[in-house]
Amino acid sequence: MSAILSIENLSKNYGAVKALQNVSFTVPAQTVFGILGPNGSGKTTLLGIVMDVLKATSGGYSWRGEQSTAEVRKKIGTLLETPNFYHYLSAEDNLKIAAKIKGKGGEDIDRVLHTVNLYQRKSSKFNTYSLGMKQRLAIASALLGDPEILVFDEPTNGLDPAGIAEIRELIKELNRKGKTIIMASHILDEVEKVCSHVAIIQKGVLKTVGSVKDVMNTSGTAEAVTTVLVELSAVDNYALKNVLQRMVGVEEIITMDHHLQITCRDNINAEAVNKFCFENGIVLNQLNEKRKSLETRFLEITGNQSDR
Amino acid sequence: MLNLFKIEWLKIKTYRTFWILFLGFLIFFPLAFYFSASKYMEAMSTSSAKVEEEILKAMLDAPFVFPKVWHAASWMGGLFFILIGMLFILLITNEVQYRTHRQNIIDGWSRMDFLKAKFSLVIFFVSVSTLLVFLCGFLVGITFSTSKAGIFDGVYQVGYFALMATLYLMLAYLVAILVKRTGLSIIIYFAIVCILDNVLWLIFTLKDSQIGYFMPLEAVDSLVPNPFKPRIMERRTVADYTLIIAAALYIAAYFYIIISYFRKTDLKT
Repeated sequence: MSAILSIENLSKNYGAVKALQNVSFTVPAQTVFGILGPNGSGKTTLLGIVMDVLKATSGGYSWRGEQSTAEVRKKIGTLLETPNFYHYLSAEDNLKIAAKIKGKGGEDIDRVLHTVNLYQRKSSKFNTYSLGMKQRLAIASALLGDPEILVFDEPTNGLDPAGIAEIRELIKELNRKGKTIIMASHILDEVEKVCSHVAIIQKGVLKTVGSVKDVMNTSGTAEAVTTVLVELSAVDNYALKNVLQRMVGVEEIITMDHHLQITCRDNINAEAVNKFCFENGIVLNQLNEKRKSLETRFLEITGNQSDR
Repeated sequence: MLNLFKIEWLKIKTYRTFWILFLGFLIFFPLAFYFSASKYMEAMSTSSAKVEEEILKAMLDAPFVFPKVWHAASWMGGLFFILIGMLFILLITNEVQYRTHRQNIIDGWSRMDFLKAKFSLVIFFVSVSTLLVFLCGFLVGITFSTSKAGIFDGVYQVGYFALMATLYLMLAYLVAILVKRTGLSIIIYFAIVCILDNVLWLIFTLKDSQIGYFMPLEAVDSLVPNPFKPRIMERRTVADYTLIIAAALYIAAYFYIIISYFRKTDLKT
């Protein structure tokens, strides 16, 4: 697979703050490449540099082996950080400007507005839009001209659950059509659901990179990857906890506000837990099995504290 | 460049503040110029009994008849043009405030494209206002001049206006790019235009030095001095062409600073 984006030893300092330190990786073609990291880890700084709105302190990058130029950027659809539009212009006029900068006519505008369900509101001024609508307009703008490469920074920011699902589906759909998508996110679940590859960044340092599968499997502590996380509750959680302590395969029980969270070996699943509890006289009113994989991996890599 | 201007035009054509300030200039300058001329001519035509007034009149050379009218139109156009400077600052700092300057680059402009697009606005504002100054000078001159001979003798003053307008906008451009904040940029711009430049000029002139005429804006201001100022009060001895060269050097210097700063800076709010 040829590389869409190659990043080499990229560093960025803001005064004494080291926002990025010697980050290198390549984004293979036709992947959904997630850049995952806690808030303030340097994701947006990284994307800002490859889109030439920020200047690297050292290091370099290339798109498809070419030096980044305006011509290269015209063929990339990008949503960076927040939707940036002229407040006093309508959605349609804003997209006209973006299309013209990309050297395209306005013929694609209706299509992209339909894609993000904003067509009905295309004549409304941008400053009358809700946060979610602004975000969708920014995605529409990125889709203009049907680019082969898309860069999305926190694409589901500000969207409601239905909107989030739509955008994730859209990203998968674009990928099926052969597009390469580079997506920054702090939401593990999102990366896990959508991405094929992931780079994990913390405090400006690249912690790991590779396909999502590889990243999960190269763990030093193999059992952490294969554990199962189950959330459950009953009317009497105290009694439930006593029962679970007797169950073979349950390794850890954490009491949360309204439920318990247990970590089990991978031969245990929700069904087994349910059966065991019922046989021991406990009726569950909530049972939810979560794959722990990437989350576990992420926390292993970045540590539990949100200290950036 | 034309393409860049078309995009700039898309940005501003429905922007209300743009129209308020731009039309403010397009309407109030000609009105003010015409009414000053007509009041002045009225006052001049009635002879006064007072000797002092008659002497004063004799000292002024009729600013609203050819060829001096070109000078008066250029001078008054310059006063009103400060409005356009403010508008231009607003159009640049708005982009920073809404982060649309980032978006323009992300969408595929080079940083130079962004600067050129804004410069296309400089050309637009200077062209429209120069044309307006020419028309005002011409029409007021036609209206109040008794002799129609040599009406274009002083028309080079309109060229001075164009140079002055360009330098004022380039200063506004520089301030807006470096300062980024709308309010602060406008305050700094006015401080330079109204206070700093004049104070420097005054300091140097009181020392009997001609350097004052080469201050950043004074160079062009001196090319188009107040037409109501009696000639004997003029203390400038440096020739026009030296001021023109100074103005051109300032324009080049502002360009250089803007380009070298903007090409390297991080685009943030």
